[in-house]
Amino acid sequence: MLFEQVNNKVVRAHVTAQSPVLARRGAMLGYSGAVAFRPVRGQGGGVGGFVGAAMSGESNPMMASEGDGAVLYGYKGLYVTVIDLDGSYPLTCEADRLLAHDANLQTSVQFVGSGGVRAAVRGAMTGQGLFTTLVHGRGPVALLSHGGAFPLQVTGQWPVGVDPQAYVGHTGNLSLDLKAKVGFRDLTGRGSGEAFTLQVTGQGTVYVQASEQKF
Amino acid sequence: MAGPSVFTAQSLPDGDNVNPYVYSIGLAGEWFISKGAMLAYYGNIRFEAVSRYASVRDFVAAQFASPVYVQDWVVAEGQGKLVIGDRGFDLNAYDLDDGNLTIKASNLLAFDTRLALKQSIVPGFVVLIGTGRFIASSNGPVIFVEPPFRADPEALLGWADCPSPAVHHDAAWMAASFAGALQGALGRTSGEEKQYDFTGTGTVLMQSSEIARADPAVLRLIEDQTRLLTDAQAGSLGQQLMARVQQR
Repeated sequence: MLFEQVNNKVVRAHVTAQSPVLARRGAMLGYSGAVAFRPVRGQGGGVGGFVGAAMSGESNPMMASEGDGAVLYGYKGLYVTVIDLDGSYPLTCEADRLLAHDANLQTSVQFVGSGGVRAAVRGAMTGQGLFTTLVHGRGPVALLSHGGAFPLQVTGQWPVGVDPQAYVGHTGNLSLDLKAKVGFRDLTGRGSGEAFTLQVTGQGTVYVQASEQKF
Repeated sequence: MAGPSVFTAQSLPDGDNVNPYVYSIGLAGEWFISKGAMLAYYGNIRFEAVSRYASVRDFVAAQFASPVYVQDWVVAEGQGKLVIGDRGFDLNAYDLDDGNLTIKASNLLAFDTRLALKQSIVPGFVVLIGTGRFIASSNGPVIFVEPPFRADPEALLGWADCPSPAVHHDAAWMAASFAGALQGALGRTSGEEKQYDFTGTGTVLMQSSEIARADPAVLRLIEDQTRLLTDAQAGSLGQQLMARVQQR
């Protein structure tokens, strides 16, 4: 097991020569063994990937942990959720929610604005902007959330509505659609405060945090 | 009536956690309490500034041998139940048995008067020596690790029974940062290249990294050290600090 959850805010990664780990810079709490750290750029391969990542804002300063040892990761006291990707579907999340992942996983940036105004509005509401990050491959990912994140299964029979601000990420064959229900009460400031919901349909798992605060 | 069970002076624990974030001290005599840690109390308890209390009971000054921290602590004296907490962080009680333990000053909430408090050589940390109980907060549960271990200064909670750490600078990291700087990349100072290196035997206490609470004693410690500077050096430091304030 590469990632071991120490408690709800800290994860221990067992780094070996075959499986180095990529982590958010500033997230290393401590380590034992012969581990070397190296700053790397966030996303993408080659010049195009780098420019794309820089343009989209989906680029976080990352670092590679290589060698042989155990490294503790945590970030600003945020909750950590470890997700094991089986390779069938990528994980979609924001780049700044990525605490650490197996370096053999690939990350890429996806433009969500291509779905027109609706998708752009959805991006703005979930705090994702026009871009989001995809994590492909087989291996563990540690995600950050404010308040613990919990998985909700989505099936064709049971779609899920999620508060856009509580959305953390998702895996599987899902489509996300922002539903607005703005009525007279909302305009006069007497609404429920839940005028927008993210409708998640398809087959997969959506991760939701127990807070509407980002970080 | 449904709802949470209501505590009374009798049902509050006597020297135990009420929940992971709240601790109840059964007070019979004196305890040192960090200012602002008290949430509630039952009974006949008085809170006095450490310096003032020391003039009444002279052993207090001997036990609380850290002038830098005197202003941030009070003595709770009397009989009753004293309930403490810190920003919803996890609280733990530790029993020292003729031991010594170094802990981040802003995470220490209370300790009984049998323990002596001293300033650590590492800035921002204090040492507890002797036999007795203390209560400390941590962001998430405490993680215990054994040396050899290298810790990020911000995630380090403390250490027990092992020698003071040395500062380790990751040479490979700094070389890579410098190369990166040449390529025109900015903002590469994460502090990741600086770690505290623990060797020998003992226990290192870790927590999830946090946004550090402002520790007023750090200012006093640094002010004290500026006496080592020459007038020219002090002037140069002053200019750097002014520039930093103006950039904000």
